[in-house]
Amino acid sequence: MKKSEICVIISIVIFIFSLAYITSLGGLGYLPPVDVRKLAQIYLASTYNPYQPTNTSSGYESVTAIIWDFRGLDTFFETAVFYGAIIASVAIYRGVEISSKKKSIGMSPIAKTVTRLSLILIPIVAASIAFHGHLTPGGGFQAGSVATVVIVLSIMVFGLRRLVQKGVTKPKILLLRSLGLIGIGLTAIGLVLAGLVIGVNAYIFQNQAKAMAEISYPMWIDDVLFGGSLLFFNIFEFVAVMAGFTLVLMLFSIEEEEVKKVIK
Amino acid sequence: MELPTLVASVIVVSLYVNLGIALYGIFARPSLVKKLLAITILSDTANAFAVLVGYRWPRTGTPQPPVLMNTTNYNESIKYYIEHAVDPLPQALVLTAIVIGLAVTLFIAFVIIQYYRLYGTVNVRKTATSSR
Repeated sequence: MKKSEICVIISIVIFIFSLAYITSLGGLGYLPPVDVRKLAQIYLASTYNPYQPTNTSSGYESVTAIIWDFRGLDTFFETAVFYGAIIASVAIYRGVEISSKKKSIGMSPIAKTVTRLSLILIPIVAASIAFHGHLTPGGGFQAGSVATVVIVLSIMVFGLRRLVQKGVTKPKILLLRSLGLIGIGLTAIGLVLAGLVIGVNAYIFQNQAKAMAEISYPMWIDDVLFGGSLLFFNIFEFVAVMAGFTLVLMLFSIEEEEVKKVIK
Repeated sequence: MELPTLVASVIVVSLYVNLGIALYGIFARPSLVKKLLAITILSDTANAFAVLVGYRWPRTGTPQPPVLMNTTNYNESIKYYIEHAVDPLPQALVLTAIVIGLAVTLFIAFVIIQYYRLYGTVNVRKTATSSR
């Protein structure tokens, strides 16, 4: 082992012991905390509050309420960063095409049959997570990640070429990804556009009516809690995340020979 | 020491050890793949730490996830909810951090694969020596 490596290890050990010592002196306060901060209490109290319709996010799930209502603009830009990373990955692979002419081999018929069943069940679970994101733990991010399992399974069991032959191509997935992001953008300015038409004020990322902006996404439909804009955001985010991960995983699975033709 | 405090302390110490392993991987290992793994460990440690900071052990009863489960008697339900639910803000931050972290990790993995294709190695020291 080199001297520099030993120095790094000793420095890290001293750093870790210092952190542990500060913690033992109460640097992080009482562990685990008994109370949450005031801000968290406000979030928890305003997640669903039927007595204060101008101060509620119309869902039962506080995390989704924060992500798409209280901090909606942050999440929009975070989604844009995610989109940027995907676009950068696609840019590295520009010019590389997935050949769909060759025959795809795939795994055994047993694996294929079992996977065909899963390919129906997994999207149902994903859709359930997305559609109930404002009621139960879950949401667009989680649903999109679950739905990506379908693509991973398909690539592993049937082969990438088979997926392309079935019409799952790079431009189509990129289009779906863009539609998801456009859907998020439109939901964000939906009430502003509606307000312009009917002549009332509204804010960007507004969910329920506020003072001087008395226009809302539906909170209830019949006796079902609809969640206002949260439901739309979850669905579009589901599409965006699923398409984004699908695209990257497809690029990862391209044969080395195909890539080397372009790089050489 | 009470059991919740003991468990929280063990978790904090293990997160510090994770942090040390991640820093060692980033600073000392020459392989880009190992650096990427170390960055992943670092981000996961930071995420777990954020969730731990938002956790709570209420004075009475047990902690509850930040989901309002009962609205039949709203005033009582919301009072119980505020007194028992954990902080939802770190969970919201971590949720987006995980997804964006995964996308960025995939991008870095792409870059490493391209690096290997161009240089024939993922060892940064070898590359530095050969380019001199």
